[in-house]
Amino acid sequence: MAGPLEFAPAIAALPFVSFVIALFFGRYMPKKGALAGITATGGSLLLAVWTYFAVMGNGEPHTEHLHTLVSVAEPFSLELGILIDQLSALMLLIVTLISFLVFVFSLGYMNDEGETGLPRYYAGLSLFSFSMLSFVMASNLFMAFMFFELVGLCSYLLIGFWFREDAPPSAAKKAFIVTRFGDYFFLIGVVGILATFGTSAFIGTGGTESFPALAEHALTGSADHVHTFGFDPQTWFTILALLVLGGVMGKSAQFPLHTWLPDAMEGPTPVSALIHAATMVAAGVYLVARMYGFYALSPTALAIIAFVGGFTALFAATMGVVKREIKQVLAYSTISQYGYMMLALGAGGYVAGVFHLTTHAVFKALLFLGAGAVIVAMHHDEDMWKMGGLKNELPVTYYTFLAGSLALAGIIPFSGFWSKDEVLYEALRLGLNDPVFMAAYAMGLIAVFFTGFYTFRMVFLTFHGEPRTNIAESPHQYGWNMKAPLVVLGALAVVVGLINMAPLAKLTGMDLTYLHHWFEHGGELLTVEHYHHLLTEVSGVHHVESSTGLMLGSGALSLGLALAGVAVAHVLYNVPSPEEHTDKLGSIKTVLFNNYYQDEYQVWLAEGLTANVARAANTFDQGVIDGAVNGVSSVSLFAGERVRKVQTGVVTNYAALLTAGLVVLLVAMGLLGGWF
Amino acid sequence: MSNPWIAIGALGVVAVAIPLSMMAISSLLRPRVPEQGKTTTYESGEVPTGTPRIRFNIQYYMVALLFVIFDLETVLIFPWTVIYRDAVSTAGLTTVLVPMLVFIGVLVVGLAWAWRNGAVRWVRTPRRELTTKRES
Amino acid sequence: MTDPVSAALGLGGYQPLVPALLLGVTALLVLLVDTIWPNEQSNTLLATVTIAGSLASLLVAGAQLFLSPEAATLFDGQLIVDGMSLFFTVIFTSVTALVALASHDYIAERPNQGEYYALVVLAATGMTLLASANSLVTAFVSLELASLPSYALVAYLKDNRGSAEGSLKYLLIGGLSSAVFLYGISLVYAVTGTLKLTEIATVLDAGIDGSLTGVLGIGIVMILGGVAFKTASVPFHFWAPEAYEGAPAPIAGFLSSASKAAGFVLAFRVFLTAFPTSAVAGVDWVLAFEVLALITMTLGTFAAATQEEVKRMLAYSSIAHAGYALIALGALTGAADRLLVGAGMLHLLVYGFMNTGAFLFIALAEQWGIGRRFEDFNGLAKEAPVACTAMSLFLVSLAGLPFGGGFVSKYFLLLGTVLSSSYLLAAALIVNSALSVYIYARVIKAMWIEDPVPGRTIEEYPTGLYAAVVVAAVVTVLLLPGLALFTDPAQLASNALF
Repeated sequence: MAGPLEFAPAIAALPFVSFVIALFFGRYMPKKGALAGITATGGSLLLAVWTYFAVMGNGEPHTEHLHTLVSVAEPFSLELGILIDQLSALMLLIVTLISFLVFVFSLGYMNDEGETGLPRYYAGLSLFSFSMLSFVMASNLFMAFMFFELVGLCSYLLIGFWFREDAPPSAAKKAFIVTRFGDYFFLIGVVGILATFGTSAFIGTGGTESFPALAEHALTGSADHVHTFGFDPQTWFTILALLVLGGVMGKSAQFPLHTWLPDAMEGPTPVSALIHAATMVAAGVYLVARMYGFYALSPTALAIIAFVGGFTALFAATMGVVKREIKQVLAYSTISQYGYMMLALGAGGYVAGVFHLTTHAVFKALLFLGAGAVIVAMHHDEDMWKMGGLKNELPVTYYTFLAGSLALAGIIPFSGFWSKDEVLYEALRLGLNDPVFMAAYAMGLIAVFFTGFYTFRMVFLTFHGEPRTNIAESPHQYGWNMKAPLVVLGALAVVVGLINMAPLAKLTGMDLTYLHHWFEHGGELLTVEHYHHLLTEVSGVHHVESSTGLMLGSGALSLGLALAGVAVAHVLYNVPSPEEHTDKLGSIKTVLFNNYYQDEYQVWLAEGLTANVARAANTFDQGVIDGAVNGVSSVSLFAGERVRKVQTGVVTNYAALLTAGLVVLLVAMGLLGGWF
Repeated sequence: MSNPWIAIGALGVVAVAIPLSMMAISSLLRPRVPEQGKTTTYESGEVPTGTPRIRFNIQYYMVALLFVIFDLETVLIFPWTVIYRDAVSTAGLTTVLVPMLVFIGVLVVGLAWAWRNGAVRWVRTPRRELTTKRES
Repeated sequence: MTDPVSAALGLGGYQPLVPALLLGVTALLVLLVDTIWPNEQSNTLLATVTIAGSLASLLVAGAQLFLSPEAATLFDGQLIVDGMSLFFTVIFTSVTALVALASHDYIAERPNQGEYYALVVLAATGMTLLASANSLVTAFVSLELASLPSYALVAYLKDNRGSAEGSLKYLLIGGLSSAVFLYGISLVYAVTGTLKLTEIATVLDAGIDGSLTGVLGIGIVMILGGVAFKTASVPFHFWAPEAYEGAPAPIAGFLSSASKAAGFVLAFRVFLTAFPTSAVAGVDWVLAFEVLALITMTLGTFAAATQEEVKRMLAYSSIAHAGYALIALGALTGAADRLLVGAGMLHLLVYGFMNTGAFLFIALAEQWGIGRRFEDFNGLAKEAPVACTAMSLFLVSLAGLPFGGGFVSKYFLLLGTVLSSSYLLAAALIVNSALSVYIYARVIKAMWIEDPVPGRTIEEYPTGLYAAVVVAAVVTVLLLPGLALFTDPAQLASNALF
């Protein structure tokens, strides 16, 4: 049957086609490749919707084997394949939707602003979508790694789009190098998983099992075809899980590898929207969700994920409080929000994590595109202290941006409330049993207050009060192609949370947790029940029994904190001419403003430590290696000289050396083999 | 334990020792009468002239090589002719004859080439031959 | 299967031998042409016959390889035509065609052209037979058929001292190595009582008298010595730098690519068929090959790093590549044997094109008379961009960077060492490849970055040489996707040998 799943490869292939078109023919086209990109991602979006409903109707995961790169059966083969299940279908929907809207928005942001190099921009954007969609569909970890790297490369190309200026190229390099640092661990993890299990498939097909399933068997008894290199299986799996986590922390900007992300704001704003909402940063969290069956086996890895996530959420939120540029605030909010997702996944809340990934994709894309619109209106000045009072001039932007902000701050009934509440609730349920998770939960909870504060500080400074500059009094107006994506996303930001209203379901007894049900279907090893089984039976991680009181209490607490943050922001900044209250923080502001000196210590590490190691290596290279090379060279030169001088003598030398070599070989082999 | 290698080793030692001891003993016993005639090269009683490192004309080798090749051919043909009749009656004419014809044919091609390129033509200096070949 | 021609010749059933027969007939045709017009410069006709003959042989071998991978034995098991022999025949004939194409310009002004082409084709015939040899005595005879023309070809530039010197050394070392090889054969015969490879394996499998293990071991190691000579592996490599440097550059390419591949096909055939590791418990030849591989690649790379002449650098790099290919035998631990042997075969295939191409570029440089040292190549890219692009491709592919097939074959070799836990070889492969990047980059830097040598003008752009260089470059590049996507070394090796 030629159903929609047969066309699944086309979802990724269409952006690739538009990449080629934009690259080679973009300059001859009316919109410099934008139309090709819009058509392609629009087509992908339709196909993704179709796929989504097909998965909904079908229920079973769809796998397809595309090509075998290296088919050495022993010990493993490297393959390209497709896996469409509930998770990847949902993610495909998100990625294609955001890509499509970003393409449309780019018409206004790039074309109408008269940027040059547009074919390169649209080619990069298309390749970015292609890489991410292929990554999402990957059926095994090896293929995922390939496209994970390609995603990194595209981010490098796009962040450094304005390569003639100073900052973007350096930001692009930083993004590339920092994420690459994490990817080293990922690569080792991939090799380790292949060497351990002989497969890196996410799902078993035709008699072969997936590697999470093999790992589960190894832990529950029958450890047959699994080589753990002398480690206890539990320990070894934890090591592998943490190695892969290295790549996740780099891409998803988790502490301490988050430093590239704020700098990545140097790229065009639609690119930032794409990176933050749907592609690059989402890739890390998606990877954890994709191989959740493996992570669920290691309580240690889960605890580390949860703790790092909680810490990152709080840490980034505090830094967001003092930023002056609108995009910087959003950048730190992204880091913080991905911290929540990691917290959820670490705390066993698979559905909560993916839920937050979904809602965040919508409202963060909205906020970035809104910020892009504001930036266009302000003639590319990003400083919030030069804005103010824009809500009368830019009503569409204001109301959509407000919807996104309410979602980000987690105010009921906007989407962010539902997902963040569920994240915290899952962490709390686990935290009541385990102090580590309790600490992670506490950090996440405190971060809610900061989130509410910085979000509305941003909103009030940008849109409320009196205009603080001439530009803000009469901002630049822009066309439908920027407003339409904002409206679509704004509407979604309000309603997307309704797909999983756990507290309301608990309260009313109605069946409102649609997303939860969604993940109850699919391959038997890829369902939320199976993950729950792994967590409780294999890892021994137990949640406290869910109760209405606990759930409502948790929800009320986080909502209260968020409202408190909004209220503080209201008091401080929702005035006609706000002051820089952050100055009162004194030296703390300096610390926050400098991002806790993260960049400084990493540069110090790079310069003080790595450079010294490199210097030592250089000395070794100069002294020992070059010495050896020069030594060999002098020996051979010396021999060469002799060759020229004594012609007849040398062939006998050769013969003598040859015979001596043979005799040595004979004697050595004889002694080893015991011939004598 | 009687390792056979011991016997082989002993044989080697003896084999080296005998000539060495013969030379050593004779050099101890003989009288020394240095004389110029004794240091000359032995050429069957003739008085040697010139140095031993003289150049032979390359064409000696050419002829010698051709001789060796066709000598070997004879060695191969000879047993073939001896069994030829019996072989034809058992295996058939083509199986017996054709391979030998091919073999001789290959050699004939080689001989024709060598002849045509002057391998057996007796000339005084190869260099002059080369120049004439170029000019013509 | 009998075709009419072989039936008419009384050669019924010898169809598998057609590639070798074609080459032999080509050699005779070349001699005939030279017999009919001995005093004329019939260079073009000779080159055409040579190229046509080797291409015909290439086509037949390629077609047989694709159509019928089943093995056929001939002459009572003395010869075997299987996937491996056909695969290597493809290498030999491709290199022969390239070399003949390039030689058309290279020897246009020199005497004795008929001999030149005839010897090249005869050597190729010998190599093709060597690939099919299924007994030690046919192996030895074909080895000599491949070697003797090579000695003469190295000395082709008679008036050049380096050429004559290199040839004499090659001949002497070759004679010594042949003696060693032959002695090894005699010892193996003494132990097993047979010369056929399969029967040797049968005898050894059945078990031999324990006291004979030493004799067998000495025999095997001496055969290994003969192989090491042909592949230019340490310590039998001494002839190689001087012979390659002195020989005409196309011949240097021929020797370092095709002749080396011939040595490897001999090694694969003899050691994998006759001496399976399971049957010769007391003789750990895998270890011997591992040691040889380590020493060969390291010495070759380090020596290449210090050369001042490009051709001599390529000669040593050729030794280093012999070391890489030796990995195919030195890492056989049973874990990934097929992958390793297949990777070795692929490496030799790629190497046949990229290394021949590099030497043909040197031939081009010699035609231009621009000198041999690195400095002499300075800024050459401004005057000959096409040739320099091709040369750069050869070099980066030799270094194992992903611009040519060399990357894929090295990758498969590395994969094989890792899978068979030969980490020492893996480390040596990586270290030496890294160092070789520096070596090859020197040439690229000289050609593209340095300022041109003042006063140098290139007057002619010989068509045949250019065509050969470009063809080699195109194939080298095409082999990258070709090998990466469509080839599976293990499959290749198991079709060929196991």
